[in-house]
Amino acid sequence: MTVKRKPYILLCIIAVLAALLGIPRLFSMDYYLHIFVMSEIYAVLALSLSLLVGFTGQVSMGHAAFYGMGAYASAILSLRLGLSFWVTFWMAGLLVGTVAYLIGRLVLRLRGHVLAITTAFFCVLVTVVMNNWIPVTNGPMGITGVPSPSPFSLFGVHAVIETRAQYYYLGLLFVACVVYFLWRIESSRIGDAMIAVRENEELAKSIGIDTMKSKVLAFTISGALAGLAGAFYAHYIHFISPVTFTINESINILVMVIFGGMSTLFGPILGAVCLTILPEFLRMAGELRLVIYGIALIVFIIWMPMGIWGTIQRILLPKGPEKTQG
Amino acid sequence: MTVTTIFFQQILNGVIQGCIYALIALGLSLVFGILEIANFAHGEFYMIGAFMALFSITFLGVPFFIAMIIAMIGMAFVATVIERVVFRPIVGKPLINSMLLSFGLSTALANLALYFFKADPRKITSGLASYRFSFLGLYITGERIAILVLSVFLVLLLAWFIQYTRTGKAMRAVAQDRTAAQLAGINIRRIYSVTFAISGALAAAAGTMVGAMFFVNPEMGFTVVLKSFVIVTLGGFGKIKGVIFAAILIGLVESLGGGFISYAYKDAYPFLLLILLFILKPEGLAGGK
Repeated sequence: MTVKRKPYILLCIIAVLAALLGIPRLFSMDYYLHIFVMSEIYAVLALSLSLLVGFTGQVSMGHAAFYGMGAYASAILSLRLGLSFWVTFWMAGLLVGTVAYLIGRLVLRLRGHVLAITTAFFCVLVTVVMNNWIPVTNGPMGITGVPSPSPFSLFGVHAVIETRAQYYYLGLLFVACVVYFLWRIESSRIGDAMIAVRENEELAKSIGIDTMKSKVLAFTISGALAGLAGAFYAHYIHFISPVTFTINESINILVMVIFGGMSTLFGPILGAVCLTILPEFLRMAGELRLVIYGIALIVFIIWMPMGIWGTIQRILLPKGPEKTQG
Repeated sequence: MTVTTIFFQQILNGVIQGCIYALIALGLSLVFGILEIANFAHGEFYMIGAFMALFSITFLGVPFFIAMIIAMIGMAFVATVIERVVFRPIVGKPLINSMLLSFGLSTALANLALYFFKADPRKITSGLASYRFSFLGLYITGERIAILVLSVFLVLLLAWFIQYTRTGKAMRAVAQDRTAAQLAGINIRRIYSVTFAISGALAAAAGTMVGAMFFVNPEMGFTVVLKSFVIVTLGGFGKIKGVIFAAILIGLVESLGGGFISYAYKDAYPFLLLILLFILKPEGLAGGK
């Protein structure tokens, strides 16, 4: 990243970390903590999608399919084979990553609208399979009784993950790892190649970048991370069903990425947190909740196409850092 | 009934379904070709059109055909207003904006309809369903014959309009090159409005027909819009003949697959077909835009 690090930025980071760690003490109600844990899951989903949409410039509407596959894979593995969450979590990521690789090889030849729409079809297809492959997925009834992560001892520390606060800390670790992982990718040559693909695919090809490889890599990583988020979700909620992983969820995640601002690491997190908390306020509107949501989305896209973070940056930094311009 | 009769009955149903899909997909394809917008709210145009026809019949007591015309005119007007207020500010912006915008519109319209009309399915009574004809062991109702004739007529009318009228020619010019069309003195704002009006009217006609054959409810739009995108992708964006052909193909695949393979996966066949085609013939579909 090209933003110059100043001393006060370090201070800010420490303050934010302290605030994040202190949240379970400040908001001890289960309801609030649940919203925070969901924000973490959505943060991972939005971050992983932003690698594809924001960095590589490929719009996918199939993210919920990978999220759902991760959830189902982990739930089925742990219930049928009796494996621990600590094993099935990684297996789900690996499995979904493999599927994402294969799908990516197939669909990334397409561009623009056609790619977006084709990935949307893929998402619909996965939902249809979840609903109808009853021996494995239990159909529309979903899978109940997905176990919590088993207790473990690491370096002499004994830990259980059962309460919402414990899930919150586990999720925080998860988000931190994903941010670090994506930051390393995005500041490497691989990340540069991805940006080159976004800016001008033909030009990137002409200077010897294997654009297909970059796109497939972004698609695979983004799918695998969504799979991990799905596994986390399944073992947190303990119940999964096809209605959670429909195309509407894909769009929801996409909106989070746009809302926060693409092509930064902070934007998607901001979008995920805002759009997990805001709908809770809209509950007051009752039946008209989704009408308001839809209208808000229209107004937002027309007035703030660069996302919240993009707009803040444009106001605070008149010139703007180079990499954040989509 | 023998297997052959069932087979031909399913083909007949598939063709009728395909004609309705063609009406919906053509509107979507026109909007895409001319404004370069993927309009996910197109399914809601179809739903609102169906409700307009339904209410014209229940409250005004007009016959089926008049109700359909009222719905088409009404929806053409609504679509024009929507284009003006919602879509015009983002013409020429990146595709992701128009997609999410139309999703917002789709969510808002579908839930508004749910709020006012409630979720219970209703049926449009055409008064033609009681006429039944049988031919070589195949059954068809008068209603379905009317739908078949009407949809073919509308498609031909559209093809004629685009091919031969001045406005139609201007639409094709804008689809080819927006700037050049503007330089040639075409008022492209008017073309945008006309395009949306046509797409809304066709969707309303399709909604009325489906409402007569099956049901009308606020959630009917979304599956249809996705299927129409399958059709437009298969047939080629902005290509009328290709879209019609693809629409009938999808109608047949659904009806035959649903009848002979498994009904549960009926909605998945169009998507499977498309993905299969991508594997077998990637260059053909990715060509053009």
